[in-house]
Amino acid sequence: MLCRKEIEDAVETCLVKAGTTFRPDQLRAYRNAISAEKNENAKWVLERILENAKLAGKNTSPLCDDTGIPHVFINMGSSLSLPHDWLSAINDGIIRGLRIMPGRPMAVRGNPIERVEQSRGLYADPGKLSLAPVIVKPGKGGKLKITVLLLGGGPEIRAKTYRVFHQRSIDVVLGEAVRWASSEAKNLGCTPCVPAIGIGRTHVEASALMLEAMKEGSLSRQNRWEKKVTELINATKVGPLGLGGDTTALGTFMKIGPLRASGIRVVSMRPGCCFEPRKAAVVLG
Amino acid sequence: MITLQTPIDQREIEELKVGDQIEIEGTIYCGRDAVLPKLVRLIENHDLDSIGVNLEGAVIFHTAVSPAGIGPTSSNKVEIEGSIPALSKAGVKIHVGKGALSPKTVEELKRYHSVFAITPPVSALFSDKIVSQRIAAFREEGMEALYQIEVKGFPAIIAIAHGETIFASPRGG
Ligand code: SF4
Repeated sequence: MLCRKEIEDAVETCLVKAGTTFRPDQLRAYRNAISAEKNENAKWVLERILENAKLAGKNTSPLCDDTGIPHVFINMGSSLSLPHDWLSAINDGIIRGLRIMPGRPMAVRGNPIERVEQSRGLYADPGKLSLAPVIVKPGKGGKLKITVLLLGGGPEIRAKTYRVFHQRSIDVVLGEAVRWASSEAKNLGCTPCVPAIGIGRTHVEASALMLEAMKEGSLSRQNRWEKKVTELINATKVGPLGLGGDTTALGTFMKIGPLRASGIRVVSMRPGCCFEPRKAAVVLG
Repeated sequence: MITLQTPIDQREIEELKVGDQIEIEGTIYCGRDAVLPKLVRLIENHDLDSIGVNLEGAVIFHTAVSPAGIGPTSSNKVEIEGSIPALSKAGVKIHVGKGALSPKTVEELKRYHSVFAITPPVSALFSDKIVSQRIAAFREEGMEALYQIEVKGFPAIIAIAHGETIFASPRGG
């Protein structure tokens, strides 16, 4: 049986790694974008982002001062045996990670109304930033896979979950998602973006699929539809930081779930930003 | 690459063009939604001296300051963009942030001989450029207080200057 401490330590390590390092696929995508980019200012921005990633990794300091809201995705094997308090171990690992990284102290104090109105200020403790609801899906055998994702505020302002009349065409559905992403890219500021798209039956399911797309996606492994979405967004020429150029999106992550007999699909599109997806995973057991 | 030392001289501003890559040396004030309107009120009441802040030739970076570092917030938020004319009139020469600004603000910047620069959200890189930092005023705002930081080689690109803007199309919603 996995022990509580093992889970807590692994979550803490994942959170810090997600917030302070670029993965190999991100490094590769930036290097490729820099050599392909012809707009000098766009190239300058991409080079600064890469320099930032190197320093963040070396100093274990946050890639971005908006360290994001922690989300955890679990793949749980059927023959896994877990301690009864595994969920609180995950929660405590998140708190420890936020204190160590450190996360930005941005949790809002007060009762529900005071929190909405932000009238009682913020907690000074980064660990007060509570974990978003955990998503659990089946995994392999006796293994527990934990993925920690940090979701920044900019893409939250620009994300959208809404129904699309599909007209029995994937082009129609993705065309709408591209329209949403393209119109938001120019307002995002922190481009190049990496849109994540979930297509499902309900708003909750489409959002969960969007998060799963972020969890599974790699910028080095793009299917033809993901490539097509990226190309269409890049055709807007918004460019890094809105300065123009060819690099508005570095890639796209898409996940389609079970669907129902209906004239609509529920589509969740989150544009991501230049450091996203900030994620790290561990497999225990 | 153009190096600018604070306080920044009027002549240096006149020579800057949209698209110029700059590095700032010296003092930068950091503030965003919470404190910039408060600064404007002090300016209007001729009371800026009460907090010991001199904005002549100053640079203001639209950011919070927290243990997680610094990084540009969207400058086109009402409280931030709305403060730009009064702060420029009071002597601020460079406003640093991110995102496009309205045609009205482009005109106001021109009128008060001030420019707008943008910078990527590269917090780890900024941390490497900060020599020291202290709270200058409005401590009660926590990470949104007015901070004064000393920097070496702080990177940015001139996005709006002399009525010109780098952003291809007018900003959307
Ligand atoms: S949008 Fe992304 S890069 Fe920009 S400030 Fe937020 S987390 Fe940082």
